[in-house]
Amino acid sequence: MRLNWKVERTLDEFPSDISFEVKDRVVFLEGKVKEYKDWVKIGSEIGDIDGVEGVVNDLECEGKELTGLEKVIDKSKGKEDVRIGKYDIVIVGGGIIGCALARELSKYEIEVALVEKEPDVSLGQSRANNGMVHPGLAPSRDSLKRSLNIKGNEMYEDLCEELNVPFERVGSLILITPRTMEEYKKYIPDPIYKFFLKYILPWIVKKKGDLNGVEDIEILRGAEIHEEEKNVTQDVLAAVKIPSTGIVDPYQLTIALFENAEKNGVDFYLETKVVDFVKRNHSVKGVITDKGTLKCEYIVNAAGLYSDFVAELGGAREFTIHPRKGVELLFDKRLNGWVDHCLAELKIPSHPTSKGGGINPTVHGNIIWGPTAEEIVDRNDTSVEREKIEEITERYSSIMPDFPKERFIRYFAGVRAATFTEDFVIRPAKWVKNFLHVAGIQSPGIASVPAIADFSIEQLKDMGLKLKKNKSFDGTRSSIDRTAEMDKEVLERKIEEDSRRGNIVCTCEMVSEAEIIEAMKRGADSFDAIKRRTRAGMGECQESYCLLRISEIISREMDVPLNEVRKECKDSEFFDGVVRGEEL
Amino acid sequence: MKDVVVIGGGPSGLAVSSELAKKEYDVVLLERNDELGGLLQQCIHDGFGTILFGESMSGPEFADIFTSRARDEGVEIKLEAYVKSVKKKGHHFNITTVTPGGIEELKAKSVVYAIGCRERNQFEIKIGGTRPAGVYTAGTVQRLVNLHGILPGKDVVILGGGDVGMIVARHLFLEGINSTLMVYPEEFFSGLPRNAQQCILDFDIPYRPRTIVRNILGDKKVKSVELVEVDEDWAPIKGTEERYSCDSVILSVGLVPYSEKLEDLGGKVDKNTSGPIVNEYFETTIDGVFSVGNLIQIFDYVDDAVKTSFIAADGVEKYLEKESEKNLGIKLKPGDNVMTVTPQRVDETTGEKFSAFFRPDIEKENPKIEILSGDDVLERHVKRYVRPSMLEEISISKDILSGEEEVIIDVR
Repeated sequence: MRLNWKVERTLDEFPSDISFEVKDRVVFLEGKVKEYKDWVKIGSEIGDIDGVEGVVNDLECEGKELTGLEKVIDKSKGKEDVRIGKYDIVIVGGGIIGCALARELSKYEIEVALVEKEPDVSLGQSRANNGMVHPGLAPSRDSLKRSLNIKGNEMYEDLCEELNVPFERVGSLILITPRTMEEYKKYIPDPIYKFFLKYILPWIVKKKGDLNGVEDIEILRGAEIHEEEKNVTQDVLAAVKIPSTGIVDPYQLTIALFENAEKNGVDFYLETKVVDFVKRNHSVKGVITDKGTLKCEYIVNAAGLYSDFVAELGGAREFTIHPRKGVELLFDKRLNGWVDHCLAELKIPSHPTSKGGGINPTVHGNIIWGPTAEEIVDRNDTSVEREKIEEITERYSSIMPDFPKERFIRYFAGVRAATFTEDFVIRPAKWVKNFLHVAGIQSPGIASVPAIADFSIEQLKDMGLKLKKNKSFDGTRSSIDRTAEMDKEVLERKIEEDSRRGNIVCTCEMVSEAEIIEAMKRGADSFDAIKRRTRAGMGECQESYCLLRISEIISREMDVPLNEVRKECKDSEFFDGVVRGEEL
Repeated sequence: MKDVVVIGGGPSGLAVSSELAKKEYDVVLLERNDELGGLLQQCIHDGFGTILFGESMSGPEFADIFTSRARDEGVEIKLEAYVKSVKKKGHHFNITTVTPGGIEELKAKSVVYAIGCRERNQFEIKIGGTRPAGVYTAGTVQRLVNLHGILPGKDVVILGGGDVGMIVARHLFLEGINSTLMVYPEEFFSGLPRNAQQCILDFDIPYRPRTIVRNILGDKKVKSVELVEVDEDWAPIKGTEERYSCDSVILSVGLVPYSEKLEDLGGKVDKNTSGPIVNEYFETTIDGVFSVGNLIQIFDYVDDAVKTSFIAADGVEKYLEKESEKNLGIKLKPGDNVMTVTPQRVDETTGEKFSAFFRPDIEKENPKIEILSGDDVLERHVKRYVRPSMLEEISISKDILSGEEEVIIDVR
């Protein structure tokens, strides 16, 4: 009853006519708002209430059509009668979370399947982020985010070593500058303002980190800061150094998890859409897809941006996703050396549309600026507005004013699958017996990955899953050998074995034909899938040299005409028909 | 030890190799592709060779002349050779190449970079929107159509009013696509008037000046573009946005010298040209490393690009014979009405004259081209007409430069 009262009080602040219902700590909102930003704001304020475990936001928005289940999922496409498998566990969603959990489950003697609507893994927010492995300083103390972030971060070396994925613990610097509390500056005399920023605030930040369980935090001042990070702004007053921050290539890691899970017996159903569930007595008995039905004992909802719809289909609707877009700007590898740590400028209060964000190195030697944060209606919308590019270069250049910010080579956007409680939602569904949510994963999702997988398994055990170790589990995975990283002797030998190793098709990233073929052997059948596995096309010319050359190889290897080579999914074929008067 | 290693088997690389071989030097030419000729192989239209040979030929024909010369002069040619690294060691260079036959290490006394340019892509001109299939550079389209007989799409928007864009527009029109629209931010086509007439106007291909593609739209494939009109500063004009249906976008938005590789070796780059900083023999800021052709800057005519090879060959000869007297380091800079100047530096006083190329920033009839030291006019040249789309060449007397530190070329 107390919760009801709190919700009521919160809604009183809004003029609109909104009704609500609370069920098992989940708040269902109904009614109408004028603008989308109100839709987000009301949801967020309800989500903020202590004790609320989920917000289902069914508010309508005047003049804006919000994405509903029926718009995304076409139940009539379901092939319930076609049985394609029987599993102990079916995971919905092939992002980094689904793949990590699949691999973790493959350590046990159970039958696991993963269903993904796209033709490859990692095609949602898992591929479109800056690859930062956060230290665990930002989340609030009592959040699930905090504990899983701290634990996950510690597990990174082992995981990446096993899977042969590059990971670097570069550390991060949180910079305190005269701009840090600009809004309060006018109320405080300058010497006191500066003194507070230089001597008090760093301790507050450090204290928060210490209490969160982040280790070895240091405070730097004066020349120490530039010794750590030579190009950082001259007016920096203090820096909080966190050594445990790391960087990883998020889609490479996802692909590695996928490959290793598959090797250990997980069945992956790619380009397979979940359209419904077979339900009986408050539990799910099977997953109906557009390819057929998979019977199962347990369901894991790791559907990211679509996890609320998957939940709804399963009768486990406990939250609504409010998509939040982030734009990133990627810079030329030749600027490698400009940035050594993950850098962020502390702003209090935080920027309304970009909490956090900053300048990071990447494991490939590029430098990445961003992300922004913008609430959007359409969760598919990964477009980048021209203005955002300027917004990013402007906002973060105060961190490093001399950085050659015109030398970016690409920009992209990802969409975070945020829930209104803004914490990870990893728990058994409240009203369905065998349905586990692993949802609401956003920053620091990458850092938390290994811990999320472990924690999810604990949840499954609590739900009754019996696990027996799989003795034949092999956690190692070989990566595709990169020509660019080979020393002379190795490369010489490799070319002798296969002359295609000496045919360099992407000259910016020095990727050979042999790597393209190897990626295809591992299942990549589109240009972008090959690109993510080999880095072909990721250099300064951005495919202008290799697009056609690699398409030629795909066409030859798959024995399809050139104009059937896909960029990514179905209906994304690159080229059109033949010239006048010709035939293929 | 080789005398010279030339990197890049396009027209400029072929020309400089054959010139040097003719001077009896031991020359190796490295080409990453499996054939020589570079970009010219995909330029099957005519108009090449009018300056050097007084006749108009196709790209491959022009390239063939220099391929034969290089072969006849005994240049050692290595195809499918990717240059992994060039390192300076004392007074010579170690070049590591990767080929399907294995790794080869070469030692040379000097290196000539003839690696040309690359096409600017959608990110360099900040096109917004999504990133679906259907966005290609003009070079990709030329190769696609010429080599494979496949069209990029049926309804095409070409961005850029330069020569390449116009030539591709005509080519696609002739090869039978449904519709073409050409848009460009300038007031007039930025390419040669002859191409505007023969490629666009003669075929009634629709075009819109002062227009850019602001956004590309489409999830899997390009569905449309958002066009927007721009003002004189190329800034979008609010309220002029228009959605235009198409299935592909072809970018012909300029070429950038491929100077990154030279930067890796420590060469300095000129912000105006995006090419390396060179002296009057096209020697870069690294002793013994030269650059020729479109790597120096983007030339309008391949004939002019090839001219730099002849000059650089003389420079390499001087370098190898240790005849170069250096380090005058007189700077050559563009004035207010000039965009780019090459060379950026004059090192020697010997010889009477040297060639300088500059791109005007204004259009003017009967302009005076002035070589200035501060406010003093050192030399004055006249031209009939200059415009930004035409790169100009002048021959500057060396004696006027003596004692100067910095000289400016301007159009008045």
